[in-house]
Amino acid sequence: MLNQMERDGVTDRYAIGGAVGATFYLEPVDTLDVDVFVAFKPEGKSLLVSPSPIFDYFKKFGCQMEGEYIVLGGWPVQFLPPTGPLVEEALAEAVTRDVEGIQARVFTAEHLAAIALQTGRAKDKARLLQFIEEGALDPERFQQIVTRHALVDRWQQFQRQFLES
Amino acid sequence: MSFDLQRILESKRRYRAKLAERPVAEKLRLLDAMRERALTIRNSSQTIVREEPPNYGRKV
Repeated sequence: MLNQMERDGVTDRYAIGGAVGATFYLEPVDTLDVDVFVAFKPEGKSLLVSPSPIFDYFKKFGCQMEGEYIVLGGWPVQFLPPTGPLVEEALAEAVTRDVEGIQARVFTAEHLAAIALQTGRAKDKARLLQFIEEGALDPERFQQIVTRHALVDRWQQFQRQFLES
Repeated sequence: MSFDLQRILESKRRYRAKLAERPVAEKLRLLDAMRERALTIRNSSQTIVREEPPNYGRKV
């Protein structure tokens, strides 16, 4: 449905992030919802973005709304705009993965790890550790993202806290 | 019998690595099952069953 939404021109581009995105690279990561990042089409000259076109689009297919969520395939899906340069880059550089014949666009492992570093909640730190322990990251690519998005201090702090013994 | 914590942790690490290597579709099915279980457990103890989204580097 997400691919169809994009083909129908409702959004410019979508990519799966969050725990479901991480599951593409790691063991299944416990979550209750799906974070889908979308590049919204600008509405006229307004700088504000509205998810209404997405909601309206899915309602036409009979999808249920639950607050800020749309229920797709039994999962509450939250559509989020890219809220900063890192997520904007993650969306632009997201990769397409085949899931039993269905193409799904998902953030790269390095971007998911960098976003976890940036958001910095306890469960984000745990996820970043999983990425490292599983060897799921290209270290050079991750380092480049960390540098580009001014996360070097945070990364050094993380390394001191969790990776140095 | 004694508990060898190091062995237990190593076996957990191996199991997680094996899970990570499974096909994505299989992992997504596992997520489905995990979510069902989580909802059942949470519904039995409280009414809030959703997570707050993180602040994804929100512009201020």
